[in-house]
Amino acid sequence: MDASERRRRAVEEAAEWWVLLQGGEVSRKERENYVDWLRESSVHVAEMLRVAQVHGALEKFERWSQVSTDGSGDAPSTVVPLTTPTHTTGSPLPKYTPRQWRLAASVAAVLLVIAGLTGLLLALRGQVIETQRGERRQVALADGSVVQVDPQTRLNVQYEARTRRVVLERGRALFHVAKNPERPFLVQVRDTTVRAVGTAFAVEEADHTVVVTVAEGRVAVLHGPVTEGPSPATAREETTTASAAMRADKAARPNEPRSAGSAVSEIILTANQQVTVAGAGTAELVREVDSARVLSWAEGRLIFENESVERAVREFNRYNRIQLSVNDAALAQRPISGVFSASDPESFVAFIQSVAAVHVKRNESDDITIEAVK
Amino acid sequence: MARPPLMTSPDPRYRLTDWFLKWRVPLRKFLTAKGAVPASDLDDVAQEVFLRLMRYGRTELIEHPQAYLYKMASNVAAEWALRGRYLRSPEPSWLGAVTGAEEVEDQAGHMELQDQIEQALLTLTPQQREVLKLQFYAGLSRTEIAGRLNLSERSVKRALVKSYEKLRARLNTESLARSSDGRE
Repeated sequence: MDASERRRRAVEEAAEWWVLLQGGEVSRKERENYVDWLRESSVHVAEMLRVAQVHGALEKFERWSQVSTDGSGDAPSTVVPLTTPTHTTGSPLPKYTPRQWRLAASVAAVLLVIAGLTGLLLALRGQVIETQRGERRQVALADGSVVQVDPQTRLNVQYEARTRRVVLERGRALFHVAKNPERPFLVQVRDTTVRAVGTAFAVEEADHTVVVTVAEGRVAVLHGPVTEGPSPATAREETTTASAAMRADKAARPNEPRSAGSAVSEIILTANQQVTVAGAGTAELVREVDSARVLSWAEGRLIFENESVERAVREFNRYNRIQLSVNDAALAQRPISGVFSASDPESFVAFIQSVAAVHVKRNESDDITIEAVK
Repeated sequence: MARPPLMTSPDPRYRLTDWFLKWRVPLRKFLTAKGAVPASDLDDVAQEVFLRLMRYGRTELIEHPQAYLYKMASNVAAEWALRGRYLRSPEPSWLGAVTGAEEVEDQAGHMELQDQIEQALLTLTPQQREVLKLQFYAGLSRTEIAGRLNLSERSVKRALVKSYEKLRARLNTESLARSSDGRE
């Protein structure tokens, strides 16, 4: 066997070892074989380093959305960009530079520390996080990611060797994702999947729509049937939120057959962008938002800008045991603006009293009714 | 209102139970280490790593072979980069950092690498491309990829092995090195 043939063999074997070792579970016997193979020749070592570089290059590749897979068996292209990815228009995205890696790593490290100090570290595997009215929680996940869970929210965390998947069944949550490109972080709401590598973003499920807001980094929002029946689209829309979420959950499991007809559309969002995906999978245009403002709920602040009193009351009621109600249709429709602490409905009531002529009544359980003065 | 946070001391061992995670960090370090492994030096780095692997106890290596491999490689690369700095006059790169010239070059190199990967991917079969796309872009697990493409997991693995082999041959080692030695 000449040198070039040895090299060719080494390339092949290195690729095989790489794929095996990437798969996760590797037996002791296999590791022994691997070490022996490495110690056989420096060419083996060199090829192992090169395959890692190939892998690193693929991770940094930014034009996947343009890669055609036409002619791949009977399965059609499963990723169809809905919008032109934003990074094709400008300079290359900086997030894959080593500096960014380091930054992300340190952010993740800080989050880990925070998690250790204040949160709860849960060994989550198919674990459910559920909050009641008035209950907000910050939960540290096993990989160092942190989730801020809003009231009346239900999440199902399914961590596997290769993926970190969170199914949002209802409510909303803000995710600070610990960077790990080998283990993508996926948030799934029914048929919509949000994929992040290391970033902060929020997902909200409300009235059969999914709202995704990005605070940092970049995420991909994929919408498409995860499982396929003969005509699933209408059926999906008619199911209730809960059961649809369960379906999405079930569909997320591996080995579910998928028909050739599946199509996934994808939107790329970067920091300070938001998109709403309606039940049928129709996405609005990507909006530019001030994410700090839009996501202020995660910090316990409620910001209203020309929102109706009724809507503000509804928001407060999600965060508090003391329930507010407005006993006057005209007052309920009045627009208000202001910044409030979500856990302080009294300050909101005081604010209303200062801008409108109202009576405030409290019942025995401290619930508050606001009435207009006739 | 909000329940007080439960104080639980984190068990660092838990996060490390997945041994795969253990070599992610050394690998990352190897791939991003400052001044890491110019392509022409990679074989030399490998030779040095090889010698170090021989000096280590086999039993020790077997626990986390990949972690050892990439840790050694990034150490050797770092040592060599240090040595290289003594040999070279420091001025050019120092000036480059000040003027931003390096950054421009970096971006050009970055785009060039993107072009090269794009070209190299075209040499794969559509199915191999799709498997890679589903792994790196859609973030699916191998099981999920197999399910979606109606393939066995074995076939997915096969497609990955073949893809890495072809890309290794296609991607010019210079640009791969450039992809890994970006500035900090």
